[in-house]
Amino acid sequence: MRKASFLSVLIILAMFITLSAWGQGKVITLKILDGQSTTDAGMEKLIDEALAKKYPDIKLDWDIGDWGKTFQPKMQQYLQSGLPDIMIGKGQDVPTYANLGVLANLTGKPYLKNVIPAAVGSGTVKGKVYGVVFNALYQGVYYNRKLFSDNNIHIPKTQAQLLDVINKLKSLGITPFETHFKDTWSIGNITMQFAINDVFNKYHNWGDQFRAGKVNFATSPEYRACYMYNKLIYDNTWKDDTFSMDQIKADTLMVQGKAGMKVSGSWSIQNFQSVDPDFDFGIFPFPNQTGNAKLIFEPNITIMVSKNTKYMEAVDKVISLIIGDKELAEKIFNLTKTASMLKKAGPTYNNPSQKDIDSYASKNMIVDANTGNTQLVWGGFQDQNAQDIAAWLQGQMTIDQILKAADSRRSASK
Amino acid sequence: MISLSKHKYVSRTNGLISKIIIQAGMILISAIIILPIFSIINFSFKTRTELFVSSPFSLPHNLYWDNYFNALYRLNIGTTFINTVAYTFISVIIIVILSGASAWVITRNRHKFYKFSYIYYLIGILIPFQALFLPIYIIGFKLQLVNTAYGLIFMYVATGISFGVFVMSSFISQVPIELEEAASIDGCSIFRTYFTIVMPLLQPAIATLIIMQSFIIWNDYLLASLFVSSGNLKTLNVNFQQLFSSTASDYSTAMAGIVITIIPIITLFLVLQKYIVKGIMEGSLKG
Amino acid sequence: MRNNVKNTVKNQAQYIVLLLPGLLIFTIGLIFPIILDCYYSFTSWNGFTKEVPWSGFANYIKIFTDPFALNAWVFTIKFTIGNTIIQNVFALLFAVIIDNIHFGKAFYRAILFVPCLIAPLVVGFIWTHMYGDVLPSLNSLLHMHINYKLFGSPRSVLTGLLIVNNWQWIGYWMMIYLANLQSIPKELYEASSVDGASFFSQFWYITIPMLAPAFTICIVGITLGSLRVYDLLVSSTEGGPGRASTSIIYYIYTSSISGRQYGYGSALSMSVLLVLLIIAIIQLSILRKREIQL
Repeated sequence: MRKASFLSVLIILAMFITLSAWGQGKVITLKILDGQSTTDAGMEKLIDEALAKKYPDIKLDWDIGDWGKTFQPKMQQYLQSGLPDIMIGKGQDVPTYANLGVLANLTGKPYLKNVIPAAVGSGTVKGKVYGVVFNALYQGVYYNRKLFSDNNIHIPKTQAQLLDVINKLKSLGITPFETHFKDTWSIGNITMQFAINDVFNKYHNWGDQFRAGKVNFATSPEYRACYMYNKLIYDNTWKDDTFSMDQIKADTLMVQGKAGMKVSGSWSIQNFQSVDPDFDFGIFPFPNQTGNAKLIFEPNITIMVSKNTKYMEAVDKVISLIIGDKELAEKIFNLTKTASMLKKAGPTYNNPSQKDIDSYASKNMIVDANTGNTQLVWGGFQDQNAQDIAAWLQGQMTIDQILKAADSRRSASK
Repeated sequence: MISLSKHKYVSRTNGLISKIIIQAGMILISAIIILPIFSIINFSFKTRTELFVSSPFSLPHNLYWDNYFNALYRLNIGTTFINTVAYTFISVIIIVILSGASAWVITRNRHKFYKFSYIYYLIGILIPFQALFLPIYIIGFKLQLVNTAYGLIFMYVATGISFGVFVMSSFISQVPIELEEAASIDGCSIFRTYFTIVMPLLQPAIATLIIMQSFIIWNDYLLASLFVSSGNLKTLNVNFQQLFSSTASDYSTAMAGIVITIIPIITLFLVLQKYIVKGIMEGSLKG
Repeated sequence: MRNNVKNTVKNQAQYIVLLLPGLLIFTIGLIFPIILDCYYSFTSWNGFTKEVPWSGFANYIKIFTDPFALNAWVFTIKFTIGNTIIQNVFALLFAVIIDNIHFGKAFYRAILFVPCLIAPLVVGFIWTHMYGDVLPSLNSLLHMHINYKLFGSPRSVLTGLLIVNNWQWIGYWMMIYLANLQSIPKELYEASSVDGASFFSQFWYITIPMLAPAFTICIVGITLGSLRVYDLLVSSTEGGPGRASTSIIYYIYTSSISGRQYGYGSALSMSVLLVLLIIAIIQLSILRKREIQL
């Protein structure tokens, strides 16, 4: 008797699961992998809503995770079993996966007309388009505009001027830099920002030379300087707390005026404005050794398609919705507080740093982050180096040791 | 006369003071242990701004239920809850049947093959399957088990059966072999003997195993995230991890999500306390 | 145990049919991956490409020269030893207290046990906030200056993790000790009281020897569990700050996936498997011997 009831329960449950997994009738379900940044959360809801209105017969099966931690592992898995139809990653992913031959060639697709040339350019490998960029981030030093103007602090262009600013802030009892080094990725990010303006501006293919053994971290005075900026910031931030403070707390302190500057990117805007929508902040590039640092522009959300997708038509419709629907695009920009790569749609929220961005743009002082990001990959290289830097700042390793450790990862840098 | 009804040790003359001290100590310790859980519940009712600004010990202004609605939507509770329950339930039943069968057969037979099987199974307890994630995925994919409900259940059984055999084999001694011999003489096949005689007698073992395996599978994150990527097959914990990382700036929703997932387990435990405790105790005594 | 059931072919066949499904699922699900992993450990595969280049023992040699692997092992061993001692001592202590207490037996037992019902992933997240937000604010409430940010410095992160792990598991092992305590025959205590034995000598000469089997289970269980720590780290320290709390399993993960050295990661996991086996065998043989002696 027992056995019979056991079995019947088993059968019922099995049926239930199979049925719920089978989906409904004629709807095409596309699998989509989304490597999100912290600010992107909720983007999928907006896209689903817009999709339901325009193409109700297409549904998206979302596999969402943090880009830094899960995009690459998931891609690694999927490469074994079959990629999802659509993959949303970052600009630097396009060369990696295009070179493995697994991405669909999007050259000539009609929806590409909706984006500015830079969006297509970032996703082009060997002349063919493999990814479309949707939005972009700006990276540099965010500063409390009111604090600076009230105390007559000028935007620094050289390291010496930066030291002046630091000292001035200290004398006012304000922590010069806001940091949250608990998130090791922030260390990796700022180090690459430094490198873009100190290494990759001078040596356009430093990465290739590095892999060829012609240059090293240990013997590069420019990269050493970049690493040392980390120490400069660490010495001028809340040292005791930075390794256990999370981003919101840190950003809150900045908005409250307890810190004056933060080396970061557009992803911080969401936090700033949720603490105080009227917080007045600006942005300037972190000064480099030669006094001519440029503001960094990073192509962000990048849409890629699997070469083996069976539903190319449906995929085309979805992508043309995301990059063609003005209303949807604006909602996403306003959610994520990022800059647009679309021709006819842009963010409509109030971004106090926009005037700084426009001013640098007009002086041609903007540089694409991918000059550095595509040369030395994030996963396995930049993030590991960042962990070493964290160890060095805490006194567990010496600077020579960590530079050598970076060199030892040479083969993992592409 | 020494009163031994409740105490094992000789009562001291200043027994009362030491009793009070111990009670006070235990209350303090209980408070420390509950503190984290209290904090989560507290956080889960606060708004985002309150989180940043107010002290973690202050109670929320209002009970901000929005966090719970958000968590319910993001965690896709309807589907994932049923999924997690189903995976757990089915996997545990299969583990119970198969490990009981294996343990029984191993104990009842003296051939070397069976002894070897026992050691073979036991090695499984030591294997850190976390480190084997990619080959597990590759093999799962080659067998078309990936992204299916039965594939995940297969893996739960594979990783749980070793422990099941271990527990079951300690309890087999409770099944009088005379009953089986009598059944066999009466013409019962081995199969029937197992299902109709042995399994009912293994009730305490089954109960222990069900309890211990259930919460291992319920709390699993790794295998579930590895094997299922379709939204409608996901488990609670997998969606959790999503909530943790992608709402790094909004952890009040994550807190609400945590409350939603741990409340059923804790409630179930408190309700079934007697049986669960009995099960673990008996399990450990036999082990 | 003598099995008098007839040893016919039919019976033998049925025995095997009952055994086989479990054996098969176990082999396919767990053993095959080990074999595959063993194969990968001799290659320099990066986990991505189709080509799987052979590299012989290079990975195994690398384990000995890799300072990060050594660092990961050191942390893991420290964590394991810390846990084994602390959890055992406190689990036993609480078991003894609860066993003898008048009021609130079930209440305290439940409270101490509940933390182990929460997934390690969630526990890591909870405690990150405890150390980062909740506990530090105690300082202003109680006018003290204790540094609660244990996850923030490499010197304190081990302590921080030990506290978290123990918070979670002491109750679980306590249950086992409790069960065993309650099964010690009361006559033993009565007899020794009559002989004038004190509290402590009763504990030392009766309780502890009778708990020998429980010690075995708990020590082996805690050791094996600690050596495999991973989930907890993912949602709390992520191996940091720097690399101060990278366990060996966590290191395998980072080198296999983000480090894209899948071959090396496989070699590391083979070595972990070996170590676990050796430790389990050693512990079991030592502890079983003492059980028999006592």
